[in-house]
Amino acid sequence: MQASAPQVVVTGLGTVNALGSSVAEFAAALRAGTSAIGPVTLFDTKGYRARIAAQVHDDDAPATLPRALRRRSSRSDVFALRATAEALAESGITDAVAPDRIGVVLGGTTGGMLRAEECLRARIEGRSARYGADPIIGAPISVSADVVADVFDLRGPRLALSTACSSSGNALGTALDWLRLGRVDAVVTGGTESLCRMTFAGFNALHALSLEPCRPFDRRRAGLSLGEGAAILVVESATHAARRGARAHAALVGWGNSADAHHLTAPHPQGTGAILAMTRALANAGLQPADIDYINAHGTGTPLNDAVEAAAIGIVFGEAPHLAVSSTKGAVGHTLGAAGAIEALATILALRDGFVPPTVNLEEPESEWALDLVPGRSRDATLRYALSNSYGFGGNNTSVVLGHA
Amino acid sequence: MTTNSDDLKRRLKELLITGLRLQDVAPAGIADDQPIFVDGLGLDSIDALELVVLIEEHFGIAIPDEEVGKKAFASINALADFIAAEQSRGA
Repeated sequence: MQASAPQVVVTGLGTVNALGSSVAEFAAALRAGTSAIGPVTLFDTKGYRARIAAQVHDDDAPATLPRALRRRSSRSDVFALRATAEALAESGITDAVAPDRIGVVLGGTTGGMLRAEECLRARIEGRSARYGADPIIGAPISVSADVVADVFDLRGPRLALSTACSSSGNALGTALDWLRLGRVDAVVTGGTESLCRMTFAGFNALHALSLEPCRPFDRRRAGLSLGEGAAILVVESATHAARRGARAHAALVGWGNSADAHHLTAPHPQGTGAILAMTRALANAGLQPADIDYINAHGTGTPLNDAVEAAAIGIVFGEAPHLAVSSTKGAVGHTLGAAGAIEALATILALRDGFVPPTVNLEEPESEWALDLVPGRSRDATLRYALSNSYGFGGNNTSVVLGHA
Repeated sequence: MTTNSDDLKRRLKELLITGLRLQDVAPAGIADDQPIFVDGLGLDSIDALELVVLIEEHFGIAIPDEEVGKKAFASINALADFIAAEQSRGA
């Protein structure tokens, strides 16, 4: 990192996911090693191999939304709006910064797809002669960022990023770049994702869904479990936060991304993209591998991802007895476009509250990996710096480095 | 087609609720003179576009421009008057 670039800190946190409807609920469930993976009730899963996911059951739109927007918001929008409300209320940033100096950059992969599917189905089955505007105008991935900016009057730069399962990792990195470049005074960043038939059917067809709750890094692992939700971070420069007396939870200290340029669904067998993203993130943060005490792994629970990621971590970090590596996907599922943000939030809580989140459902780690994979139970630990990995279909790799404020 | 004014108003309220998916509104909860847009029922300009299509589909009456739409969509009373006038003109 350039000497002149400002330190960037996180002053607001918000989330809605299957483990909790607030940061406090999420933190407690994460530490307790709870799994939120269970039967899908959002749509009929009859005929699919897998029938489970980490579904959000507390899914009401905020009561304070104007009626037209409440009715028009997709499930992804609702998650994003609720998480943003929590993060903004805590940070107090909108009282301190002009609206045109607050940016928004969110990741996601399916936007309002769920409602578009329902609308199409109603038409095909002859239950409705018309589509109506709501499900169609709310379908694009960009809409959640638009709705967040609209509802909270945030008028700075706005981007919606979609790079499969690394989308919100890239959103966090982009927010960091904007602040380092001085383009904004604060950024609302993160990601949102709702379960829908398209992703469920797609991963099912690829035989990528586990029939039982996923077991990242276990030798019996047989696929991933999908999830949904949103996590939102309010980030600003450390001096800006200190000047206005805001509480900083953690620092966003660096990031890196890369492309495998190898395959649409499989990771590069040598993990070249994963290695590149991790080493770029460390260099961007001005850190050495030995400075990292915890990695929140992408750890999907698919045979390929976990093997390649474990090997890549071994190559970048070498023998590192102090390093803990865990995947929170056995707890909160794979939330695709929101995964980078939800897992960065888990990593921030780990740093702030002094614990290592467990790899839920991991019972028999592969013996060939010399990694501390934190099976089953969380443990107390003082962490200096932590890395959050997000790898997406198409060979999209992103790593984000977090530290203490 | 003849329809008395109360029947028409009730039909319009039901059309608004089902056509625009106002799940949290009952026909009795819409006053005849209540503004339909913004402060009244909280509908917006995208709803107005949908309402234009609904009126055309259900009554065969076109709303040619924003000027006409603004007057016709002021309230349930205004909309019923507009439809009745159009129907008597066509009869």
